[in-house]
Amino acid sequence: MIACRGIVKRFGGVPVLRGVSFALSGGRTLGLVGENGAGKTTLMNILGGHYPPDEGRMWLGGVPYVPRHPQDAARCGVAFIHQELNLFGNLSIAENLFLTAFPTVGRLPCIHRGNLRRRAAALLEEVGLSAGPDTPVERLSAGEQQLVEIAKALSLDARLMIFDEPTTSLTRQETERLFARMGQLRVRGLSLIYISHNLEDVLRLCDDIVVLRDGEQVGGGPRAAFTVDRLVSMMVGRSITRLFPARAAPVSAPPLLEVRHLTQPGMVADITFTLHRGEVLGLAGLMGSGRSELARILFGLDPFARGEIRLAGRPLRPAPRRSIRRGLALVTENRREEGLCLEAAIADNLALVTLAAHARGPFGWLERAGLRRAIEGVRGAVRLTPTAPDAAPASTLSGGNQQKVVLAKWLLARPAVWILDEPTRGIDVGAKSELYQLISDLASEGTGVLVISSEIEELFGLCDRILVLSRGEIRDELARDAFDRERVLRAALGERPRPGVLS
Amino acid sequence: MTAEATASRPSRSGLRWGRLLLSDYAVLVLSAGWFVGVMPLAPGFATWENLANLVGGMLPLLVVATGQTLVLITGGIDLSVTSTIALASVVGARVMSGDSGWLGGSVLAVPAGVAAMLAVGAAVGGLNGAAVTVLRMPPFIVTLTTMMFVSGFAIWWTQSRNIGGLPAGFVAIGARTLPALLVALGVAGAAHAVLTRSLAGRWAYAIGHNPRAAFISGVPVRRVTLLVYVACGCGAAVASVLYTGRLEAGSPVHGQRILLDVIGAAVLGGTSLFGGRGTVVGTAFGVLFLGLLDNSLNLLNLSHFTIMMTKGAVILVAAWMDTVRRRLDTA
Amino acid sequence: MGPPENRDAEAGKLTARTQAIMKRMLPMLRGIGGLALAAVLGLSGCGRPGGTSADAGGQGPMTVGVSFETLQTEFWVAALEAFREELGKRNMRMLEAVADGDANRQLEQVKSFITRKVDGLVVVPKDAKTIIPVLKSANRAGIPIVLFNRPPDKSEARSVTVVADNYAITRATVDYMVRQAVRGGRKHKAMILIGDLGDINSIGRRDGFDDVVKAHPGAIEVVARIPTEWNQEKALAGVVNALQAHPDTSFIFTSSDFLFPSVVSALKSAGKYWKVGEPGHVWLGGFDGDGMAYQMLVDGYLDADGVQDVYFEAAAAVQAIVDLKAGKAVPERIEDVGFVIHQGNVKEMAPRMWGARTRRQGERPPGP
Repeated sequence: MIACRGIVKRFGGVPVLRGVSFALSGGRTLGLVGENGAGKTTLMNILGGHYPPDEGRMWLGGVPYVPRHPQDAARCGVAFIHQELNLFGNLSIAENLFLTAFPTVGRLPCIHRGNLRRRAAALLEEVGLSAGPDTPVERLSAGEQQLVEIAKALSLDARLMIFDEPTTSLTRQETERLFARMGQLRVRGLSLIYISHNLEDVLRLCDDIVVLRDGEQVGGGPRAAFTVDRLVSMMVGRSITRLFPARAAPVSAPPLLEVRHLTQPGMVADITFTLHRGEVLGLAGLMGSGRSELARILFGLDPFARGEIRLAGRPLRPAPRRSIRRGLALVTENRREEGLCLEAAIADNLALVTLAAHARGPFGWLERAGLRRAIEGVRGAVRLTPTAPDAAPASTLSGGNQQKVVLAKWLLARPAVWILDEPTRGIDVGAKSELYQLISDLASEGTGVLVISSEIEELFGLCDRILVLSRGEIRDELARDAFDRERVLRAALGERPRPGVLS
Repeated sequence: MTAEATASRPSRSGLRWGRLLLSDYAVLVLSAGWFVGVMPLAPGFATWENLANLVGGMLPLLVVATGQTLVLITGGIDLSVTSTIALASVVGARVMSGDSGWLGGSVLAVPAGVAAMLAVGAAVGGLNGAAVTVLRMPPFIVTLTTMMFVSGFAIWWTQSRNIGGLPAGFVAIGARTLPALLVALGVAGAAHAVLTRSLAGRWAYAIGHNPRAAFISGVPVRRVTLLVYVACGCGAAVASVLYTGRLEAGSPVHGQRILLDVIGAAVLGGTSLFGGRGTVVGTAFGVLFLGLLDNSLNLLNLSHFTIMMTKGAVILVAAWMDTVRRRLDTA
Repeated sequence: MGPPENRDAEAGKLTARTQAIMKRMLPMLRGIGGLALAAVLGLSGCGRPGGTSADAGGQGPMTVGVSFETLQTEFWVAALEAFREELGKRNMRMLEAVADGDANRQLEQVKSFITRKVDGLVVVPKDAKTIIPVLKSANRAGIPIVLFNRPPDKSEARSVTVVADNYAITRATVDYMVRQAVRGGRKHKAMILIGDLGDINSIGRRDGFDDVVKAHPGAIEVVARIPTEWNQEKALAGVVNALQAHPDTSFIFTSSDFLFPSVVSALKSAGKYWKVGEPGHVWLGGFDGDGMAYQMLVDGYLDADGVQDVYFEAAAAVQAIVDLKAGKAVPERIEDVGFVIHQGNVKEMAPRMWGARTRRQGERPPGP
């Protein structure tokens, strides 16, 4: 169906793709893996007609394929299902589906509503979405929106569908449903390209795999030839022996953060737990279970109605500035929206939390030499890429390095308690292992760390203890020696644990 | 990073020019180019008298635009500066006027008058800031309504009459080039220092870039925002001192027509309407360019309509470049 | 291999993207730059007499700097055109500037004229007080300055002002109307639209009207005095109400022609808009001499209009500059007594009515 031979792309002389070749026949799925910056996006942009390759040729359905615009690619039957959904939330499903080609009444420039609804309903049935065609897209969950995207691609008679990290915002159930749909598409003879950081999913789903590293095709072949470990070592060019650092179980340390009966209607109910010095405590649960809400309440971004929070023995009335003064740090789940000033310089981002400490005199003049020293020091501490100048905007950094900036700005404040909400979301494997090491080091230095994550493996690898939340309540608590996938999942789905587990 | 990468390839000189055009210094280059280009076409343009006259006329604008730059950097906007100028002007004149002023003839007249004008600026700015931070209203609507209210009040209070008979000491501040220059450069220099060297300045940029991230990082977002509006109001009041002195009368319509110049100068100088970006130096260049444009187009003896259209087009292009810059940064 | 390499590739990608965007935008940037330059050069090229500004001063024809406060109404456009014509006739050069309602800009523009060593200045002041620093600057430079249409406040600064005599023109207009209207012993109920009473011109016009009416007691009874504050909506509401209260009104005078649309619309809806001589005709008079008044005269609806003789005023202003330059004495105030245009003299007087000219040019404002 689709074939590429020797695709080379340079930007301003810098090679970004150095000869990528693959062929994919109808009804098969190709997995494309590689770290951020390995060239996956560039390859997809070439396939999608955003820009031409400098060298190399492509064929689609046996004929040379030379798309000049994205519209060209769409006409040829190449469709993209993106990480960020490209739907209009205020419009209905049917309107989104036929936005570029509304069915008209004869030749009149009027939309044939009945026709529109009928065709939309047929497409929705095909992808297995039970919502009515008139439902506004914003009322759908992320997974359902993804199905709308697929239906839209089907309506354009797509022959090749490219999924770019489609599962990042989906719950596990939604992900399974998506995979089932993808299986059906294959049966219909479509070719699929699947891009993901979740290597297990890739191995499960794909027939063939292509591994990119720094624009080079470092491996490829049928799925049977790969394992997760092999993929990881090919992607990073070295073998990561341990993704997670070894952690010495903390001896019974004094309590640091004590939460008692914390309640905010509609968000969390009667939350009670203690975080100890040197402990990494995980918060597991499905999306909407109250994990992030709890984090925000603890830091003071949201209010709470009842309960008590004590930090280092003294009561805490959280509010960002007060919380920071008392030694709290919050790394939010959405680093682009709440973690960073993306367009501001890296140095300014790093300095943001602790800037006041460098101000002198009644006018708050900044003592710049000290500030620069502090920034230099913390860059080293989090091993931020040395090639990025301090003055470059944070947006120029890769996801992993952006997250390091967020951690580093808090690190400068020497917090006693870290609250990390999905700290490794959208970060490649190499950077992930570095972040895990950092988090582990923080704990060994005697701080308490609260980690929220949707990846159970991550929690198992990092934490000393895990709390499982469901509908705003703590449903289960697991110590390191009792970590069990199924038990976490059951609790997350709301099942009550056997009596006697919660002491 | 991208700038260095581009500059290291001299073959791409076109790109380098493009970069320069989109940089914060674009307007300085533009001013120089315009100056050189117009010199042979407009006799009498490059004379000391003309340039001194040009600079003298621009000083009040520089002061207002400096205050506006502070607000724009935090991602806000202050449309009420022009009416603040007017109100401060008539309040100051009411205090100082030798004909009818409350303190007319007293030695305290000038200091009290100037203090009253600054108080008006701080009060209007404080009102704007409070509405934006405490009531969380959009700055555009808040300052638009403040503009209408304050302007209406100034006109009603004076019944549209100008107030003359100002003390000579006061008139000298605005009318003589040297004191006006010192005042304007002092205000701009102080604002520049605060923005680049002080805690509050860095906080203002952070708020403009991302108020959520700044808030979570412990920046006192409300306090800084309030302060910025107060500073902007005071800037307008200082500008009012210069205007009122220059024109030797307090008038409820002083500065009524300069809003586009104020915001245009800031945007020309690279201040972003989206917040987070801008410098006082850039704004000063923007003021310089608008002054040059106005002066030289008049010297070319173009009709009023042509001048307005040209100025509008130039500010439009500047705003467009602001958008392009943003796209380059987030690309 | 590790993160640094990663980032390099990332950096390369970003640079490349930046460049790609830049590349796409460069032609646009160039295009816009070129366009702007072409526009400016083109517009300056197709100038008027005097458009190819050479420096003033020295030998050659005299140069006069003309600074208007605004060009926002037809009157000012016509007045500027009158100066252009007058100066052209005398083979003098004109520099123009419009302050757009900003006193500071006006000061700067006049100072700019002064640095260019013009031989004389004509200024329409923003207001009576803020013009004083302008006058002082001109006095210091020894350049004669004539204020057009608005006198300055009292000060030690010297200047000549050319103003229309609002009282005299209104008096003459209303006098003509009343004499015609009361012939045969007819009596009228009258209405006057009054302008903003903060404006000295409004007061002059109101007094002119009142004094004539007082001279005809019994014949003219003023039943409504409508304060408009120079606002068309207020004028409309006022006239409609007054016509309801006094349906037998048969005589209306408006203090400015620009309120005629309101008057006409109110009369039409009351069914009282008739031509001169038709039964039910309401006597109509106005002040200014604008295009609409001219049209109403020609169409036969308007009885009389007091006209500011802009051409006389322009000529007087320029003559004042020439005289001052020659060291002759010129009075501080030159008054334009205008003229009354009415059904009996339309053809004869139209060439001197500024509104007739703008109307004939198809209401196209002169300019670029």
